[in-house]
Amino acid sequence: MRSITKATLLPILVAILYFIGAEAAFLVGTLSDEIFAPFWPPNIVLFCALLLVPVRLWWIYILATLPAHVVAELGVGMTTPAIAVAFASNCAVAVFNAVAVRRYLRDPPWFGTLRKVLLYILITVVASPAIVALGGAFVPILSGEPLAHYGRAWAQWYASNALGGLTLGSVALSWLGAQGRLSPLPAGRRLEALVLGIALVVACSVAFDLAATMVASGFLPVLLYAPLPLILWLVVRFGARGASAAMLVVTVTLIWRALDAPSVFITGGPETNVLALQIFILGLAVPMLLLGSAIDEVRNAAEITRESEQRMIFTANKANIGFWHLDRATAKLWLSDTCRKLLGLPPPGGDELTQPAILSVIHPEDRPAVVESIRDAAYAGELALNEFRVVRSDGAIRWFRARSYAELSDEGRPVRIAGYLSDITVRKMAEAEAERQRREVAHLMRVSVLGELSGAIAHELNQPLTAILSNAQAAQHLLAQETPNINEIGATLADIVKEDTRASEVVQRLQGALKKGEIKTEPINVNKLVRSTVRLLHSELTDRKIKVELALTDGQPTTLGDPVQLQQLLLNVFMNAMEAMASVKSTRRLIAVSTHAAATGVELIIADRGRGIAAHEKNVLLQPFFTTKERGLGLGLSICSTIVASHGGEFSLTSNADGGATVIIRLPSDATQLMVAAK
Amino acid sequence: MTEPASTIFLVDDDAGVLKALSRLLSAVGYDVRTFNSPEEFLDQHDPSLPGCAVFDVAMPGLDGLQLQSALTAGGATRPIIFITGNVDVPTSVRAMKAGAVDFLTKPVNDKDLLSAIERAMEQEAQARQTRSELASIKGKLASLTPREHEVLTHVIAGRLNKQIAADLGTVEKTIKVHRGRMMEKLGVRTIADLVRLAERAAIRPHQPQ
Repeated sequence: MRSITKATLLPILVAILYFIGAEAAFLVGTLSDEIFAPFWPPNIVLFCALLLVPVRLWWIYILATLPAHVVAELGVGMTTPAIAVAFASNCAVAVFNAVAVRRYLRDPPWFGTLRKVLLYILITVVASPAIVALGGAFVPILSGEPLAHYGRAWAQWYASNALGGLTLGSVALSWLGAQGRLSPLPAGRRLEALVLGIALVVACSVAFDLAATMVASGFLPVLLYAPLPLILWLVVRFGARGASAAMLVVTVTLIWRALDAPSVFITGGPETNVLALQIFILGLAVPMLLLGSAIDEVRNAAEITRESEQRMIFTANKANIGFWHLDRATAKLWLSDTCRKLLGLPPPGGDELTQPAILSVIHPEDRPAVVESIRDAAYAGELALNEFRVVRSDGAIRWFRARSYAELSDEGRPVRIAGYLSDITVRKMAEAEAERQRREVAHLMRVSVLGELSGAIAHELNQPLTAILSNAQAAQHLLAQETPNINEIGATLADIVKEDTRASEVVQRLQGALKKGEIKTEPINVNKLVRSTVRLLHSELTDRKIKVELALTDGQPTTLGDPVQLQQLLLNVFMNAMEAMASVKSTRRLIAVSTHAAATGVELIIADRGRGIAAHEKNVLLQPFFTTKERGLGLGLSICSTIVASHGGEFSLTSNADGGATVIIRLPSDATQLMVAAK
Repeated sequence: MTEPASTIFLVDDDAGVLKALSRLLSAVGYDVRTFNSPEEFLDQHDPSLPGCAVFDVAMPGLDGLQLQSALTAGGATRPIIFITGNVDVPTSVRAMKAGAVDFLTKPVNDKDLLSAIERAMEQEAQARQTRSELASIKGKLASLTPREHEVLTHVIAGRLNKQIAADLGTVEKTIKVHRGRMMEKLGVRTIADLVRLAERAAIRPHQPQ
């Protein structure tokens, strides 16, 4: 229902506006003796209507305006052929304009850039009225004018349509924003526009009235310029909208004043005067409209820049990202407000930020690296250091990540280095927490492995204790003899000392394995590590009737690492090997350990004769919580591979052809590691 | 202290423990022989030497209990003392059932060890004595003629000379001669001694049909 009402009402509304526009034009026009209007609004009404409605509905609007046209033209006593030609040319202007604007300016907003407004002027002020006036000029001829006046008739027809497009048309198009809706001025500026409009009317009227009396004097040009400041004011303040509105006001006022009373344009007949006036207004309006649109464009660009900057700053603020900028030539560092806030530096406006002031907030341990990094960045174009700590004034330590991007000169040298800074404290803390938990799990695993081995370890400790006790009691017996053998007693005491050392070594190994603390990095002889592990497991291996075959390389295969972690690695591997062989005939139980000096480091191979690895287990073996043991946690191998990876090595597990599994551990030699570290 | 000729055979895979125990036992006056592995011991063991053995339980290859069965399977009757780091009840029960003298835990006190060794030595000496007595009885029995042996089984069955003669189809006088010679050869005077000897030699009395 509503859409039907709208579809009927709108064409009627357009027809009424068409009629009013025609009547208004005739009203102004009939103030003189001539029937010609100086500018012709109906075409613009139809043009705007066609611009806003779909093409398939155009015929309704064109038909709707026909009665309005006929009624209006009959009112001024036109002949039927003249009315027909006038209607045809009116429709032609509207259709030509609408088609061309849709084609070249596409969707609203139609104004806003200089290019668009220039195109608009070319369409509605130059091309369309000029072409259509070729036909329109016949209207006066058909009404009885001599054919000799065709040129002037064309000019009048052209000017009245061009002026309509330039003033009324540009007002309509510049004030219609997106989706063809009117975009109003902000409340505060409406008053300013109104005051300027009234002032413009007054200025135009006064100037023209006075001008009529001063044509003879030399001050006429001065008077003609009188409205200009107000026009410029409107253009500068309101852009294309201001320009179009100002020109409409000037046009209407001038035409009204020119026809009402003798004014500046008084030398010729009324038609000549009107034509002169039209040309005067065209000459003024075109540059004003272009100036207004140019101002709009600059203002829009500035607005867009400001908005995008605000968006960026907002986002950066919310994301805790600061921007920085290093000038290579001056080595000066610029920091964004957020950047300063993040680093705990004073906001801009106070004292100039000096490099020492910036550096003072950086954690003392990281400071030399940051200084060096900034200095290097000036040459390399990239920050070598990515993460550093900042100490806030309240003593809190925050972690930051810096990223840099260099702007290179033609020779490929960095000119400027810019980048961003983000607070990664939360991530760092999460990482530290994860690392702490990982270590805790590894420690608990160690404890649990040693718990499983406790019987064997107790036995390991019992052996030297047994030897010590027996030696000591032997010494007592020796002393009780009539002639104590001093040499034998000495040897006994020496053995007691030796056995005591052995006991304390067991305790030390145990303490080492149970230790919980910072990870150390020290050179570790892999052969020694293997031997010490086999010693620690001696009783367990004996109990389980497992033989160990060592084929250790003659060299000193050394790696850099944490002794506790590496010991745990071997313990886990040995425990797995031992458990894998539980159901194997005792004569077959063997763990073969060999070390090799490979090109890049040490290779440690531990082969057992256990149940081996099933095909389906291969891929999940190293994943946490995968286990084949009845009461296993499934963390042993996952911890092993983590330990090896953290030492820069490789951990692999394969099945042997003759049953059992082989663990291959490759660790970088300490020389390789030192070289990597040096790089 | 027992006779100085007694030897202690020590088997332990731990060199330190082996040395200390050996030193202790030597200081007390025993002749000690040490072996690093069960295999070495089995290779070199001389069962004829008097003495006892001290075995560690947990050893690579054969463990102490397996060594014990290997030893007894070979016919040796050497008393064995076990020492172990792990107090493991089922193992100790098995060892004791198999005839072990004692099952001691490491670190072992000299008093415990020495008293166990003394007991073992006594046991060994007794067994040795029994064995030598038995050997002499067997030798004496071997010197009997078949007839005298026959008479012996009848005598210890409580038969009178007359009855024996009837059983064997001879006269009482002949039996008396055989009997006298048999008693003389066996070195016994009374019937009671004869019965005790026959019992030790596991000679069964004659069963009348």
